Amino acid sequence: MLKFALKNMAIKKVQIILIVLSIVISAGIGVLAFNVSNQVSDGITENAGYYSAIIGPSGSETQLAMNTMYFAEKPLGTIPYSVVSSLMQDQRVRSVIPFAMADSYNGYNVVGTSNEFLADKEIKNGQMFDNNATMQAVVGYNVAKYNDLKVGDIIYTSHSANSTETHTQGITIVGILRETHSSYDNVVFTQIRTLWEMHDHGEEGHEGHSHANVCAVLIKTKNDAYAGQIVSEYDDKIVTDEHNDTHTLQAIVPMNAVRGVLNDANNTKYIVYVLCAIILIMNIMIISIITLLNMYHSSKEISLMRLIGISMGKINLLYIIQNSIIGLISTILAFGVSRLCLLFMSDFVATYGVVLNMGKIYAFEIIILLGVFIISVLPTAIWTLVMSKKDSISD
Amino acid sequence: MIEIKNVTKQFQNETAIDYKDIIFESGKSYMLLGASGCGKSTLLNMIAGIISPTSGSVIIDGVNMQERSQKEKDKFRIKSIGYIFQDFKLINDMTVMDNIDILKLEGINTQGAFKLLGELGILEKKNSKIKHLSGGQKQRVAIARALVKAPDIILADEPTGNLNFAIGEQVIKELVRVSKGKTLIAVTHDERLGIYFDEIIDMNEMTSGMKDVISPKEVE
Repeated sequence: MLKFALKNMAIKKVQIILIVLSIVISAGIGVLAFNVSNQVSDGITENAGYYSAIIGPSGSETQLAMNTMYFAEKPLGTIPYSVVSSLMQDQRVRSVIPFAMADSYNGYNVVGTSNEFLADKEIKNGQMFDNNATMQAVVGYNVAKYNDLKVGDIIYTSHSANSTETHTQGITIVGILRETHSSYDNVVFTQIRTLWEMHDHGEEGHEGHSHANVCAVLIKTKNDAYAGQIVSEYDDKIVTDEHNDTHTLQAIVPMNAVRGVLNDANNTKYIVYVLCAIILIMNIMIISIITLLNMYHSSKEISLMRLIGISMGKINLLYIIQNSIIGLISTILAFGVSRLCLLFMSDFVATYGVVLNMGKIYAFEIIILLGVFIISVLPTAIWTLVMSKKDSISD
Repeated sequence: MIEIKNVTKQFQNETAIDYKDIIFESGKSYMLLGASGCGKSTLLNMIAGIISPTSGSVIIDGVNMQERSQKEKDKFRIKSIGYIFQDFKLINDMTVMDNIDILKLEGINTQGAFKLLGELGILEKKNSKIKHLSGGQKQRVAIARALVKAPDIILADEPTGNLNFAIGEQVIKELVRVSKGKTLIAVTHDERLGIYFDEIIDMNEMTSGMKDVISPKEVE
């Protein structure tokens, strides 16, 4: 039966290829849109949940979150390091990570921080920089790859990406991160003190450095309630630096900040879903019409088989097998195409700090594919049922 | 044995055929002659269980066909009847073997196909598509498909209808030869082929032919 079904399909290959293509495009887009939007949403939420609170200069909370977590956008400004020192004494805090983004190396951002910032990242070559030392750097995978850098090399950073003037002091590369497919691949990480020394120019100040400022402080508290308390305490707080300049702080829960971004993204996601649904409905109609036309053209073949004695049951089964094969191939291809697109999209999505997982399958994706399979078989089943009811051979 | 008893057939309440009683004995070959519309093909279709008589009985080996369900008729047709249709009833885009192997859908063993195709002289065409064959070759494929299941009854509806006399005669000779020992009923309008059959039945004499049915209103 299967062999004959395949032979029968082979003689209608152009028609079948068109049906398969139609199903693959519609189902593939639907599955891809659902998977990407959910993985991005889950990924961003997961990243945002990594820190309990972020304290930085007043301004846009989204900018503060995006700058510290994804190295996107410019820092809002600086705040005194005394904020970090004060938080380090706080019993409610589990870890405090200073964050400063300044300078550039061949267009790649240079981030000054402590090695705790990279605690969950794997070193491919070399080792993590020493918090107590200076002028050491750990570079992201792409920085090393595209600049042909290796452990032991010395790099010279500049004040900005557009500047050709580099600092005279070189930073020694002590480690190279394993590829993360995220924004971490495109950053040079060094001690916060390295940045201070580079911009110090010999003036001594608070904390031993005249430029003892940070762009933000990333905090992990012992529990969520403490995070809420710290945010309340530090938000809109005014602090004074060693030059008696005042700084207004901003404290955010990163999860809340990205939630706003995600709400906007969700609206886009729903538009994509509606478009996919429209494409899918149109394709259901097209598939049904093509299948029914196909069956109509097959009616000569069916009556021929009936005349030589093939039972209607066997004929029904034959066409249902044929369409099941079409449905199965289409859904498998749709899934494969969606994963292939996922692969191509992963680099783009990685700029948001989200690594797309090819193996991640959502239950709703299975439902979409199952639905597509059923839709591809249903018109034939209905047709054959109708044909059985008015079997042309029985009078 | 096939018995046709008091059979009439009405089509859409407009025309009808009355058949006289006919008996086809097992193992003999019959040629049905007659003018177009005298009911030759209709008779074959009734024997095959494709259509049912309006009245009367078609009894095959003691079993009245009307008493069989459609499923039973299908089963009987696929197992016991080899039907060679006038227009071949072959799938043009499929090969010769595929057209024979279609019977496998009903569990028919088609292993004898090569031998039959060889006897009919078209073995080398076994992998050719039907649409690339000549009329005579198609007719032979139709014969091979009808005989491969070793049926007890072979029905042939105008098997030479699309062929010239020389090829038609050859086809008939082959058909009679490969059908030896079976009941063969072949419809043809060419009397010259009668010499190859055991019996010739003139259907013009066996039926009242197509006649208009007079409606009750017309009687009034």
